Parts: sequence; C-alpha cells; structure tokens
Amino acid sequence: MIAPVAEAARRDYDYVIVGSGAAGATAARVLTEAGRSVAVLEEGPAVETREFGDQAWPGFKRMLRDAGAQTARGRAFIPVLQGRCLGGSTVVNSAIVWRLPEDVWRTWRDEHGLGAALPYERLTSAWERIEKELFIAPTPREAWGEVNRLADDGRRALGVSGAPTRRNVRDCRASARCLTGCPTGAKQSMLVSYLPKAAAAGAVVCADAQVERVIFKGARAVGVAGRGFMMRARRGVVVAASAIQSPLLLKKSGVSSVHLGRHFQGHPGCAMVGVFDRPVGMWRGATQGYDIDHHRADGRFKIETIALPPEIAFARLPGVGRDWARRIAESGHAAVWAVQMRAHAEGSVGAGPFGADIKFSLDRRDMVNMRRGLRFTAELFFAAGAREVLPGIHGLPESLKPGEAWRLEAGPDDPACYSMILSHLFGTARMSLKACDGAVGPDFRVHGADNLYVVDSSVFPTNIGVNPQHSIMAAAWLAAERMAG
Amino acid sequence: MAGQAEIVVEALLPAEAGLPSAGEAGVPAFLERFSSEAPPAMGWALRAALFCASWLSPLLIRRLPPLSRLAPRDRERALAAMAGSRWAVLRQLALLLKATVCFHYGADPRVRAAIGFHR
Repeated sequence: MIAPVAEAARRDYDYVIVGSGAAGATAARVLTEAGRSVAVLEEGPAVETREFGDQAWPGFKRMLRDAGAQTARGRAFIPVLQGRCLGGSTVVNSAIVWRLPEDVWRTWRDEHGLGAALPYERLTSAWERIEKELFIAPTPREAWGEVNRLADDGRRALGVSGAPTRRNVRDCRASARCLTGCPTGAKQSMLVSYLPKAAAAGAVVCADAQVERVIFKGARAVGVAGRGFMMRARRGVVVAASAIQSPLLLKKSGVSSVHLGRHFQGHPGCAMVGVFDRPVGMWRGATQGYDIDHHRADGRFKIETIALPPEIAFARLPGVGRDWARRIAESGHAAVWAVQMRAHAEGSVGAGPFGADIKFSLDRRDMVNMRRGLRFTAELFFAAGAREVLPGIHGLPESLKPGEAWRLEAGPDDPACYSMILSHLFGTARMSLKACDGAVGPDFRVHGADNLYVVDSSVFPTNIGVNPQHSIMAAAWLAAERMAG
Repeated sequence: MAGQAEIVVEALLPAEAGLPSAGEAGVPAFLERFSSEAPPAMGWALRAALFCASWLSPLLIRRLPPLSRLAPRDRERALAAMAGSRWAVLRQLALLLKATVCFHYGADPRVRAAIGFHR
C-alpha cells in the first residue's frame, strides 16, 4: 500500500491530500471511488499492526507528535495529544464514535450560517455509510470488562443517562490496548480501513512525506512541496493535517487570513481514580467502553471510562516514595474515569521555535464545569461501590471518602492545580460564509484561493462536546463528494 | 546524570509492598536512554526535574541540598514537598518525573505480575 514519495512524485494527480487521518483517508476513499486519482501524503511513519507493542513509551515515541510532549501553554501547561503516523490519531484513539449532536449543529446553522454547507441529512447519510463500512456498534457486554461494568452500575444507581460506547471495531478482543495501536487490527482505524480501500481503488499512499508548503500559480493551488519532493495536483490540494498542522501549513504557504490559527478550541480532559475493595483489572475490556452523557448539554461535559496502561496509570496515583509504591501495588483495584469537557475557551496556534506554539487557557466558566464534572464523576464512583476516590488535584485531600464528593465542586479555580490533557481540536481555519468571518468557505475552499481545500476539524466553527472522528469523517465525505462532482 | 537519577528514583519509588524499587527495575538507565530518544524539549524538562529534585527539594523541608546528603525518609519527604509545592512549575516537574519513571517501571514484567496485570 505504501509508495516512496520520491517515486510517487513522478506523476500528477487530480488531488493531493495532506494528512492520512480521519479526514484525509475519508476524502481519499470518496475521491477514488468517484474515479479521481489521488495521492495521500503522511508526515509520520507507517507502523503496521504487527509492530504494535504493549508498552507505552515505544508507541508514543513512534506514533505521537513530539512523543506525546506537545503542550499548550497558558494558565497551565496542558499536553495536547495527536497521532503522527499513517492513519493519524485514528490509530491511537479509543475508536469512540459519536454523531455530531443536533443541538451543536443547530448553532452552526443559526449562528454561523452553515446549514446549507453541512446539511444534517447529508451528514446523516455519510454517517450511515461510514457506520456500515467500519462496523460501528455499541460495545458488547462481553467486551466491557469490570471497569466498564462498574460505570454501568454507577449510572444505574444514580439514575442518569449513559450507554455502552459506540466504537468502530470488528471482533474486538477487549485487550485494552487501543492507545498504543490495536494489536489485532480489530479497531477500524484509517490504517486498516479507508487507506487500504483507497489504495485498492488506485490511491497512492506515502508515509514519511512531510509537506512544507502548498505551491500556487497565481491564486490557484497546483501542488505541494516537501523535503526532497514536489507533487503536482491538477484539480486541487486537500489539507487534512489537523487543527494544529493545517493552519501552520497554510500560513507557511502564504495564505493570509486573520482567522488562521485563531479560534482554537478543544476538549480538555481530567481523569480521576476510584479504588474498589474488589479487583477491577482495568487492563481487560474495551479501552473506553462506556459513556455517561447526562450533563453533555447542560454542563458541557461527559464522563468516559478509560483503561490506561500501567505506565500511564501509575503516574496518576498520588504520593511519592513508599506511599506511592503502596498505591501502585493496589492498582489492580483501581478504575480510571475521565471528564471530557466542551470548553468555552478559545486559544491560538502559531509557529514556534520547536514546532507549534499553542496557547490555551480555560476560563472561569470552564473551571466551574470542570469541577462540576469531577464531582459528578466521584458520585458515580461512589455509587458504583468505590471505597475512595483519588482526585489528583493540588489543594484537595489526596483521598476522598463516600460523602465527600462535594469537595471537588469547591476545589481550586486555578487550572494549574489539575492534571489535564487536551484532545479533539477545532476551529483554526473555521468555515464561514464570508472571508471576514473565517478562513474557509462553505464549499471547503480556502477563501481567496482556488483549488485549495481544508477538510479536517480546523473548519469546525466550534468544538462539539463529543469525540469528533465521526463528524470529521462525515464533513470530509461531503467535501470530497463536492470535489469529485 | 546517572548518579543523580539513581538517588532521585530510589527515593521516588523504593522497594515496597512486594514491588521492586525503581532502581532495581532499571529506571536510571532508562532515563539516560530517554533523554537521548525524546524530543529535545522533553529531555531538557527531564533534566530540569532531576536537578530540582536533587538541589531544590531539600530546601523545601529546610535541609541543605543535595538530596543525596539526606536520610532515606527525608529524601521521600523532600520529594513529597516538591510534588505538593505551592509553585506549579515544581509540581509539574515532579509529575513529569513520575510519568517518565513510569514509562519504564510500569512496563517491567515483575511489576506487571505483582499488580495482576495480564491481557
């Protein structure tokens, strides 16, 4: 499936796609089906399923941007996790699938005028195709493991809404290894689904092919240039390099829009540990198999289970020295659940000396929602039978007992007191009807440029409050259908 | 870095509750390797974390540095003070140290067996 880029660059293509993640691979799949010739260029390496190990560091080093050390700076330093390998973040995510919530789409329609650009019925028809092709279904009970079953117990005890997570997997062995690459190929990441499908239909796929700029002839994009190669595109260049890399590439290529790199939004996440009297064994079961979305609309957060590998889970345990070692020794009784929040805050992305310079600070409203989410998570833990909760928040006790969940809502206001990560990134080349309001038009074409398209979550005018892969794929699907037409 | 790392990680994660110490699990050698394999900013941050653990953390418990001069219990107290410091940057460096140590320690087969990890 993989071609050396120097060899691939000897011919022209209808479309050159920059990025091989959810957006790029979906665009390639649709364009090739429509008979267009396509090259997909991925900056990161091609890592095959058989190469996925069960240790975090070798995987992070090879498959995450900056080995997982990419960080947003602001009132706190927050790691920003992104895949950087063939298949992009779909290789290292937990296969979670959510359609764009209708209430979010309505704000896009009513406040940003994008109802005609992204009609819900056309998104729905794309989702239906994708769901069928990627075997999307709720996590079956036999793949839950104890950690997801406890979330179901807690949800039922509190009488709140939630459900087994819908995931793009086929014959999942419940090995809890999504985050370092699915070792059985069960997860239908782009690496094993749409990239091979596009390649079978004639797409040329190149790894280790970093694009440095888009080449223009006048206002028209005619190809791309990277380290040691140039590739020509007859009908267009499709940028699908993520909400961090896409605006940087466009800026480097001379695209000028005040909106490029601005309006950066995301979903900050904060994990908490619950300790139970009986063994939990969070390392068995679907990595993320249960979602509790009760406060998605009114609190802008949802709760997810997550099976962190020991190398990551241990660092979330409190203490140092013998105290920490004792916590590690009983980690078989621990479960990790996380608050994923739809933040109000907007940041920015620019070029820095060591890569992207990401600025992002949670605002006061976000901290209120985060604390509320953490309290709710603790209440779920206790309702599921946890004997203690370890918040991992500076300024709060190391351990909270049943009846003490309220303390989380009264926790500190300073984001630097919390250990968060930022994932699901949006908005840095947002779509708008007019060039004065955004960087990309309703036809996915960069305002003021011909044949230059952006099809990833950079174009989303807001964050969405749910895992975005499915929404990204549907948007890229619509964009590619228009390009193909 | 090796000598400094050995002292810090032994205090950070001593042998306890049937688990090997970080030193026994080969963490100091891993940290050497990590510094050369990781992106430069990550390597620098790790070195800063080790420096602060060795030379600043004792001051937080009103002892003279370096950490190696302290008795084992005081070493733990000093690192605990760094992890719970009012200065966010010290807390984040302590967390980075814990996270980096765990990259190797959590993958150690003896550790995994001791916590009942199997897939």
